Amino acid sequence: MTINRIVETDSPEAFIEEIEKIQGALPKRIDANPKNVEKGLAKLVLTLIELIRKLMEKQAMRRIESGSLSDEEIERIGETLMRLENKMQELKEIFGLEDEELNLNLGPLGDLM
Amino acid sequence: MEGVITKSKDVTLLEVLDRVLDKGVVISGDIVISLADVDLIYVGLKVLISSVETMERLRGAPFAGAQEEPT
Amino acid sequence: MKIYSYAIIDSNSKISDSINGLEGVGVYNIYYRDIGIVVSELSEQIQDITQEHILKHEEVVEKLMESFTVLPVSFLTLFKKKDDVLLMMREYYSDFRENLDRLRNKIEFGIRIIWSGETIRNRIIDTYKKSSANISITDTSPEKSFIKEKFEKYKLDKEFEEEANKVITLIDDFFSRFAAEKKLERLKSDNLLLSAFYLVEKERQGDFKEAFERTKRTPGDLKFLLSGPWPPYNFIVLTKNADMFNRKPINQDLAGKNTL
Repeated sequence: MTINRIVETDSPEAFIEEIEKIQGALPKRIDANPKNVEKGLAKLVLTLIELIRKLMEKQAMRRIESGSLSDEEIERIGETLMRLENKMQELKEIFGLEDEELNLNLGPLGDLM
Repeated sequence: MEGVITKSKDVTLLEVLDRVLDKGVVISGDIVISLADVDLIYVGLKVLISSVETMERLRGAPFAGAQEEPT
Repeated sequence: MKIYSYAIIDSNSKISDSINGLEGVGVYNIYYRDIGIVVSELSEQIQDITQEHILKHEEVVEKLMESFTVLPVSFLTLFKKKDDVLLMMREYYSDFRENLDRLRNKIEFGIRIIWSGETIRNRIIDTYKKSSANISITDTSPEKSFIKEKFEKYKLDKEFEEEANKVITLIDDFFSRFAAEKKLERLKSDNLLLSAFYLVEKERQGDFKEAFERTKRTPGDLKFLLSGPWPPYNFIVLTKNADMFNRKPINQDLAGKNTL
């Protein structure tokens, strides 16, 4: 095949395992086939909602970390986040979607998570 | 020894796949033939959608899209 | 018949070597101004895409790399006819020209590092448990328990990422000395600590490989992988694509005509 190129490692199996893992996380395609269009759109919408939900969670964590919240405020945040998480779970069940299916590859935006 | 050589080939293939599927020059727009016989919704993620098509084909699904679909 | 494309090259001449691409058909150069795109013709029917197709594609690109500066085209980029190819070349010309100039005489190396995510996490959990300087949330209600659990996970994840970044920075600082550009993918999975791509001048290849040998001695239970030289897949920058939301599709650009 090629003359120069090398792939050198003393742990090929470990790398095969890890690289296959991340290649398996390719985003799902959206297609306009009427049978699937609902599910495709649901997936897109829920993924975006999930992104927002995770960002909100992270923001809440940072505020708690800063120590600037009262006990009551922490409790309210807990309630909100709980409800959001449960709602997401419900929506996923309604559309028959698994967690992995909502893993949109955001490229550089992925670092926001 | 043969087992090691086989494994190395797998790693090489994975490295090639990682590059060739959606890196490099990715041409966007209608001028590139879509390989599916289904119209895709462009949501600004065409790059990602293209590589999913490719992966699905690699997984052995027969290549349905070589013919043009009558419109 | 479809036109299958492999790479953009820094040449508008015929290709002197005979190189065979997919289906064993010879590749040729379609030129546009002072650059070209190397293609071959595909018959209508392809039954299954296989490993062989992928490797063949890569083989063609790497063969071209021996004689030209190449911008590798991603797999399965097809065109209906030559006019479409030329239209595309016109649209992307300034991008291609910029990339060819920037990437001349440079090649890509890949470095991947695996660590034991589980071991690191366990160590962090142990340290966290022993530490008294933690913000404590009393779990007096389900909401409080929920938050407490979330917060602890947040702290542990944060610590995990900081550990990762320490190691990554150490190694990346070292390799960066030999590279013109770099692209890092951190913690794509718990164990895949780093996937790094470095753009290295051809003359510095040897230095880079030697740097890898030295890096393998980094303490800590790390596993290393080096791959390359590759065509610069990770260093192509296409401003035209970023313009996606303002852009009309190419086949409507010609003053509203959509004769394609």
